[in-house]
Amino acid sequence: MELAIVLAGAAIGAGLCIGGAAAGAGMGNGTLTSKALEGIARQPEAKGFIMTNMFIFLGLVEAVPIIAFVFALILLYANPLLKLLGQ
Amino acid sequence: MSGGEVGIHHHVVEFAGKFFNLDTLMMTWLVMAIVLLIAFLATRTLGKGKMPGNKCQNSIELLYEYVSDTVKENLDEFAPQFVSLIFTMFLFIFVSNMLGLIPGLASPTNDLNTTSGLALFVIILVFFMGFKVQGLGYLRHYITPYPVLLPLNIIEDVTKPLTLALRLFGNILAGEFMLQILYLFVPWFVPLIWLAFCVFIGSVQAFLFSMLTLAYVSMAIRPH
Repeated sequence: MELAIVLAGAAIGAGLCIGGAAAGAGMGNGTLTSKALEGIARQPEAKGFIMTNMFIFLGLVEAVPIIAFVFALILLYANPLLKLLGQ
Repeated sequence: MSGGEVGIHHHVVEFAGKFFNLDTLMMTWLVMAIVLLIAFLATRTLGKGKMPGNKCQNSIELLYEYVSDTVKENLDEFAPQFVSLIFTMFLFIFVSNMLGLIPGLASPTNDLNTTSGLALFVIILVFFMGFKVQGLGYLRHYITPYPVLLPLNIIEDVTKPLTLALRLFGNILAGEFMLQILYLFVPWFVPLIWLAFCVFIGSVQAFLFSMLTLAYVSMAIRPH
């Protein structure tokens, strides 16, 4: 009985986690890319500089959503709460 | 990785009471061998008066020039010591990220131990360079620009290695996991797209790790 509750909770939690991560990553990347495109449109000769820095900051912005994704995977496949139940 | 199961299973061996992930260790040795091979191939024609030759040397020199310019721009007088460090770090992380995309092999960076080791190395380097250049005045960076920011600065010093380790680990592990899931459910053509994306992400993360190391060291050397 408790196992069912824990598994259901883990599944719902993983789904919410990855949904939040997707929303956050989408909004962050969208803002970043739109500002980069504005900068390129305003000054086409700075394209190389802007694109390089865009990828650098993309890696920074994507860090926490990726961590949330790994967290969701841990909840699904390597759930530590099952050990507390004695499974 | 067989049957219907998805997951990264490490073969754990015990040695002197401690546990080691055997596949991470073996893959790290493989990465070291590949990096040494690249370095050997790229420097074969140096210093012997021969004409500069092969494609490997050209591409490595392109990369080396870029790293050298960026390092010299950020750290003026300490640049020679750090160019080889940043370059080696980039090569190591790049090769180890790419290794996981070959079927049958795994990245050493899909293990939190590897990335934590790298992040620990970076944070110790930052503190060492801070104390070496500024002496005990380096501790003043906790209360600049305003003393009320002390808790924020402490949190920042804790978050730096944490996010370094977790960012690299999360990106590579998520890539490998998704690859396994795609091989299981849609083994035609879609893994190809995801593989291309993983190559891109692997290079961006390797570049980002080295550039962040450079940024942290330059922040520690130069008082604000």
